[in-house]
Amino acid sequence: MSAEGGVQYSKIAEIKGPLVVVDDVSNAAFDELVEIETNEGERRLGKVLEVGNGKAIVQVFEGTTGLSISGTNAKFVGKVMEMPVSREVLGRVFDGLGRPKDGLPDPIADQFIDINGEPMNPEQREYPKDFIQTGVSVIDGMITLVRGQKLPIFSGSGMSHNLVAAQIARQASVIGKQDDFAVVFAAIGVQYSEAEYFRRSLEESGALKRSVLFLNTADDPAIERIITPRVALTVAEYLAFELGMHVLVILTDMTNYAEALREISAAREEVPGRKGYPGYLYTDLSTIYERAGKLNGKKGSVTQVPILSMPSDDITHPIPDLTGYITEGQVVLGRDLFRQGVYPPVNILMSLSRLMKDGIGEGSTRADHGEVSNQVYDAYSRAQEVRALAGIVGKAGLTEIDLKYMDVGDAFEKEFLSQATDENRTIEETLGILWKIVSKLPKNEITKIKDKYIDQYYKEQ
Amino acid sequence: MAAQGRIVWVSGPAVRADGMSDAKMYETVTVGNSKLVGEVIRLTGDVAFIQVYESTSGLKPGEPVIGTGNPLSVLLGPGIIGQIYDGIQRPLKELSKASGSYIGRGITTTPVDMTKQYHFIPTVNVGDEVSAGSVIGTVQETDLIEHSIMVPPDHKGGKITNIVSEGDYNLETEMATTEKDGQSVPLKMFHKWPVRKPRPFLKRYDPTVPLLTGQRVIDTFFPIAKGGTGSIPGAFGTGKTVTLHQIAKWADSQVVVYIGCGERGNEMTEVLVEFPELKDPRTGKPLMDRTVLVANTSNMPVAAREASIYTGVTIAEYYRDMGKDVVLVADSTSRWAESLREMSGRLEEMPAEEGYPSYLASRLAEFYERAGRVRASGSPDRDGSVTLVGAVSPSGGDFTEPVTTHTMRFIKTFWALDAKLAYSRHYPSINWMNSYSGYLADIAKWWGENINEDWLSLRSEAYGVLQREDTLKEIVRLLGPEALPDEEKLILEVARMVKIGLLQQNSFDEVDTYCSPEKQYKLLKLLVDFYKRGQQALKEGTELADIRAMPIVGSMLKARMDVKDDEMPKLDQLEVDMQEQFKSIAGVKVQN
Amino acid sequence: MASDSALEGTIDKILGQTESNILSGLDSALSESKQSLDDSVITLEQEYDQIISNGKKEADKIEKQIIGSSDIESRNKKLTTVEESIDKVFTKAIEEISNADRSGDYSNLIKSLLDESTKILGTTEITVFTNSKDKDVVQSTLSQYPGAELSSETIDCLGGVKVKSKDGAMTFDNTIDAKIERLKPLIRKDIATQFGVGN
Repeated sequence: MSAEGGVQYSKIAEIKGPLVVVDDVSNAAFDELVEIETNEGERRLGKVLEVGNGKAIVQVFEGTTGLSISGTNAKFVGKVMEMPVSREVLGRVFDGLGRPKDGLPDPIADQFIDINGEPMNPEQREYPKDFIQTGVSVIDGMITLVRGQKLPIFSGSGMSHNLVAAQIARQASVIGKQDDFAVVFAAIGVQYSEAEYFRRSLEESGALKRSVLFLNTADDPAIERIITPRVALTVAEYLAFELGMHVLVILTDMTNYAEALREISAAREEVPGRKGYPGYLYTDLSTIYERAGKLNGKKGSVTQVPILSMPSDDITHPIPDLTGYITEGQVVLGRDLFRQGVYPPVNILMSLSRLMKDGIGEGSTRADHGEVSNQVYDAYSRAQEVRALAGIVGKAGLTEIDLKYMDVGDAFEKEFLSQATDENRTIEETLGILWKIVSKLPKNEITKIKDKYIDQYYKEQ
Repeated sequence: MAAQGRIVWVSGPAVRADGMSDAKMYETVTVGNSKLVGEVIRLTGDVAFIQVYESTSGLKPGEPVIGTGNPLSVLLGPGIIGQIYDGIQRPLKELSKASGSYIGRGITTTPVDMTKQYHFIPTVNVGDEVSAGSVIGTVQETDLIEHSIMVPPDHKGGKITNIVSEGDYNLETEMATTEKDGQSVPLKMFHKWPVRKPRPFLKRYDPTVPLLTGQRVIDTFFPIAKGGTGSIPGAFGTGKTVTLHQIAKWADSQVVVYIGCGERGNEMTEVLVEFPELKDPRTGKPLMDRTVLVANTSNMPVAAREASIYTGVTIAEYYRDMGKDVVLVADSTSRWAESLREMSGRLEEMPAEEGYPSYLASRLAEFYERAGRVRASGSPDRDGSVTLVGAVSPSGGDFTEPVTTHTMRFIKTFWALDAKLAYSRHYPSINWMNSYSGYLADIAKWWGENINEDWLSLRSEAYGVLQREDTLKEIVRLLGPEALPDEEKLILEVARMVKIGLLQQNSFDEVDTYCSPEKQYKLLKLLVDFYKRGQQALKEGTELADIRAMPIVGSMLKARMDVKDDEMPKLDQLEVDMQEQFKSIAGVKVQN
Repeated sequence: MASDSALEGTIDKILGQTESNILSGLDSALSESKQSLDDSVITLEQEYDQIISNGKKEADKIEKQIIGSSDIESRNKKLTTVEESIDKVFTKAIEEISNADRSGDYSNLIKSLLDESTKILGTTEITVFTNSKDKDVVQSTLSQYPGAELSSETIDCLGGVKVKSKDGAMTFDNTIDAKIERLKPLIRKDIATQFGVGN
């Protein structure tokens, strides 16, 4: 804690959008934490976005509503924003800035940690390859999640992403030693009911005592959302790398985060990139997503499942687009499947887990896993083509083999994809269903599986 | 006199300092009390605009800025291979010793171990004349790399007046002394070179030798030449990084420089874990023994991302000057362009398309111009090459965005990745209709001389089938496949076989990950022969269904995984089997 | 016991260069607060045991979700109890400080507070605010700062000074209250450690 901070400046030059411009500032640092105080004694937090030539531009997290030029003071605290952390944060509920929201006192800090984190040294990372069994067949079988991965769920408004995320959080938590696991949940501008659903879901599974919740709901200040994922990840990193826990971080909804960022950029009159989002959106998002991982010589891991709703279900929108370039794959929910009532409505063809290849196979799941899942991808993709064709020429115009592929497509959706929200399938069960589906194809259609596995698992129907 | 100024303004990676009238453009400076590294990118009066290569969090106006007098440079000497550097050539391993798991700030390190001893064998004698670029001796840097110690490119040349004898020396040792016009200059094993200035060479050649990558869709369909330029654009999830890793692993070059520029941290870790385990198919030595990594991941400071490209290409040119073929892979040039855009925005420059600065195109051109196959300066004669492969990450997968369109103007090979192919798990998802290679004619001679003279015509036939299929697909989409005559159905069938049996390649399969030119040629020939025999058979009245049902079809599709590079007779056997099976179905027909 | 020196160290941090007479004034507060700490540790432990055993009984009857929430509840109860004790320590310490003797070397403390303030603001052209108790000490020290003057307004604080630049643009709060506020998170940890909480 620097002794230099603490000066309060009262010359406010301008207030625009979420920004306050302070004049005659002689002692302020870039990124410094700022306490804005109104005449009425209300305190808000902010940080320095730009400083120099006697001016400091301060971004106010809780918004500038009600601030006035004459009645506002800005105190430069002399440090960047920090989150107090200790083991006792488990089981606690905080607001979007990391302040207690459960009526309990501030956590008694073991450490105070800069919420921005520092970039992990790539040389010090440990390559993630430990399979996480989520009990959700489509994820375990086709889009495998591993410890230390960042795997977002791309959804659309109204779809069942929260059910999926909550199911993953509940079921993944029972694997391995209980004590080693923790869930950090950050609600970023979502409805209270969604956050509450999540909390209840953790409570019912008994996982709440190993969870930390950060809640910025839809009616909370928008700019605060810039901070929410960062305080959440600061706690996650502490639990993982200081206390050795395997931490699953769920961030929902990152679209609201990006919108808050856009609001600040607009207020600063920056040259916008695509759709009005700032040109540095990619870099900014990476400072959140890249905080997932494992480190050499440290026991724990930070696994991220960010959720984002794609505006108009458009995957080329800058938010999902730039997210997809940073994350290690994506789980895409499909509107068609959702409408048909399929749960979880995962469009596997657009989904991908980049770290799957190292997390599966002999020693973790089963030796045939990669090949059988490849074959099912291939078959389902063929099934979709055939369905499209059948829509034009009718079933009569299809060949016998085409019809087999249609069968495979139907079976995949009904028997493999569909699952109850409380159904927890083992990886053996999941692979069993995959083979059942592959076995609907004649052997000479199976081009991606080695003969020895075909001999072992293929059951002609 | 080094400039000494004070910070007056800070905004992210951009800092302004006054009192900097002594500073030079592109001079490196230390910024603030924590001595961060920065570079002067604009001078107005006595105010310098500085891009800072480390996080500026906590930096205050009033803190000092001190010039170093030198432009941003890399240290070039033995010890570079096998390293992983950040964007300004700081070894990440050394950084971790100073700051643990995370990247600390204000840490100074040397890029290579200055105390390590190398066994030096002199190649010149006292009295010999040397000039800039001349080799004075060699050291064995790794099992794979014989490292030439060269007279620096900015050296005036002269007569060797002193040189150490063969033996073990470290980098600080004075290895030789030259004298010219009464001035004597000591030479060490290393020198420094400014990254933004291309290293000079004697002359440039036309690229005529293919860079073999072991990837069939590249080598057979859209080849790149040694000293050439290529670009690989694709939306996320199209397998860009895997394809780049494949090139870095299997390209037949002596040195690989891999730049992770604004990409994922785990991808660099993957290279670090995997490359020491993998063996170079030609030498049997670990791939790491020929690889240098420059890692400036997306969450590392954005200004150093801008520099990382230049750091990488300067290292590549240095090994080129030893007479080596070097491949430089940059993933991704889009993130590099974004760092230009961010700095340009902070400089409040007038933006061109999508906020990118107007000089984006010229910067890209300058970068790709550093590729080439050249005769190096000095003696003895050495020919080396730098091949540049840049990934592009177009936003929304839209190839009309500025970075993709400008890049296309400066490169000759274009591997267009296609999200649709990736969604159907066709990897590598290089779209054969949108991709092109400008080197096909130049390198056909090599294939003709080294593999088989009918290579180019076979390639054209196979490509012709794919083109025909592309037009036929439209009809199928409207009317269904049964609407086509058998000859055209055969084209669809063969196109499917070319796609599965040749274009697709499983980089995670032990056998399929690398494909020798001989195997590529034989697979290609099998497919083209199948097509010709199929056409002939249909003419003679054979049923298409019988052709489809031949067991050879399955064998051909799996041959890429089943037949190892040293089992070429197996492919010859398939050729024989195919002839026989065609005969047998023709026989069935006659008997009917 | 180590607790004595820990608390002393804590208070040292608050007062910086405070003279020994103030510290000795605090000694009784220290022993008192230690007593209250010790007392609350016992009650805390009892309460904690009680809650845990209650929780265990419940857990036998109902499912693990209840264990989860009762674990949290008992833990939360503990947190609250610890916090109450911390508050007690603070109240006691603050009381002692506000009643401390203003004579003798107290002026050195004021001087160091003023030195720090003028350095941070970068000027001695200041208006100084303080409470009625410290007014005289401050006034006599101010002569060493050209351009500085004492405001006739008094402020409500434990002691120390609040300094404002003459143009009114900058304010630096260097009252003992502000110092305690700034150090509170660290002090809380020190106190809590004695309860065996917070690692």
